[in-house]
Amino acid sequence: MLGRALGLSALLCAGLAQAQPQSAEALTWLRKIHDATRKLSYSGTFVYRDGSRSETSRITRLVDATGSIEKVEVMDGVPREIIRTRDTVRCYLPDARVVKVERQADHRGAERGFPALLPERISALARHYDISLGEVERVAGLDCQIVKLSPKDELRYGHMLYADMKTGMLLKAETLDAKGEVIEQFTFTEFRVGAVPRERLKPRHATQAWRVEESGATPANLAAAGWGLSSELPGFRKVTELRRRVGEAGSVGQVVYSDGLAAVSVFIEPLEGRRDPVRTGLAGVGAIHIYTREVARHMVTVVGEAPAASVQRIANAVEFRRPQQ
Amino acid sequence: MKDRISQLMDGELDERAAAEQIAACGRGGEALETWRTYHLISDAMRDTRVLSAGFSASVVARLEAEPTVLAPQRRRAESRTRFALSAAASFAAVGLVGWLAFAPQPGNAPAQIAEVQKVNIQETAPVLVPPPSAANDYLLAHQGFSPRVSFQGMAPYVRTVSAKGRETRK
Repeated sequence: MLGRALGLSALLCAGLAQAQPQSAEALTWLRKIHDATRKLSYSGTFVYRDGSRSETSRITRLVDATGSIEKVEVMDGVPREIIRTRDTVRCYLPDARVVKVERQADHRGAERGFPALLPERISALARHYDISLGEVERVAGLDCQIVKLSPKDELRYGHMLYADMKTGMLLKAETLDAKGEVIEQFTFTEFRVGAVPRERLKPRHATQAWRVEESGATPANLAAAGWGLSSELPGFRKVTELRRRVGEAGSVGQVVYSDGLAAVSVFIEPLEGRRDPVRTGLAGVGAIHIYTREVARHMVTVVGEAPAASVQRIANAVEFRRPQQ
Repeated sequence: MKDRISQLMDGELDERAAAEQIAACGRGGEALETWRTYHLISDAMRDTRVLSAGFSASVVARLEAEPTVLAPQRRRAESRTRFALSAAASFAAVGLVGWLAFAPQPGNAPAQIAEVQKVNIQETAPVLVPPPSAANDYLLAHQGFSPRVSFQGMAPYVRTVSAKGRETRK
């Protein structure tokens, strides 16, 4: 036992000493991927796989003087299109004749619109992931540099990113669980850099008569209203709090936690008016987990691209404390 | 005082003395800290699932609910010696473990915290349920805040709606 005790101390000390610098080159590649995502005009086809299922989508992005616009069109199964402009995502569902509109609340001050990863936040990823360069492999006919993000704990997934050597564009992304198995994958089968006519980024359907579901997101202070976590998940920090609508539900609180790469959202909505009882438990699709439970007469739904245990742990930590008047 | 808590943990106190120590822990302060730290070490030694975030709170709560748990007879023979040795040998580690486990963890927490966390993310096995009917809406609402969009553009949004396809086809 004494030996084991000493072993433990040694292990802990080794852990402290192991604050090794990340490969600067790997971080440079992450920045390159990030820049390509923001600056490139391109079109291509990618396949999404989550374990047993796969689906093909077309993606087109145009960056010009008037800003950027990006469109994804899912080719298999039920048709749908998603179009993003600077601060709005519209999801078109032709079968249901519905447009879901996600407008980003102006809660980020100068940094409006969608969360952009700033260079210093890319470096900060090294706190939770070992970032290193892998081999060069071909994807969609192009040579790609592999960048590996290995999590330092089991609270988050690992990632293999395949970036086009020439443009830095991410042509393949794999998400790996603790066993190293690929649980989700995006792979381009065809990719072309260059501008396309703006026409091609319009929705395919005339949508005037469709029902519009607006998220109506506004910044909120849910912490002041009494909602919080009894303990946070290591490395996951609160990044935003808002009130919004979700689908047909009324006012729903949303709190987002992130470690810089993975994000977990906590949705809080009153139970009044709900017909179905809350089914406490876990559901999973690919890398996404959803955990639902009831807290203080509210339904709490936690959604994130994180391991089941992480999502469950955040869900179980959600608490309501009546605010002091 | 530390000796008494060690004895309490090893089930060597009689009922009254045990109750005293439990009450002392209940009042917080040094007794509670000692209690937490000793448990942390002893659990780490046994390679059990430890260091979970609500660990100390839940131990104290269960301690109040079921005091008999504290007196497992079968451990009596060797536990005290073992624990004394362990505690002495890892004295330096104690502070470290205590700090790692209980220090508030701000966003700029050093990376090595993660090393220690490896052992502790097990929750009780969850009940598996079908995705909520509004799962796609939650996903769509969530997706916009995922930093992955910064690396991948809109591609992750197909996850949102691919589940929709699944639902509709049922």
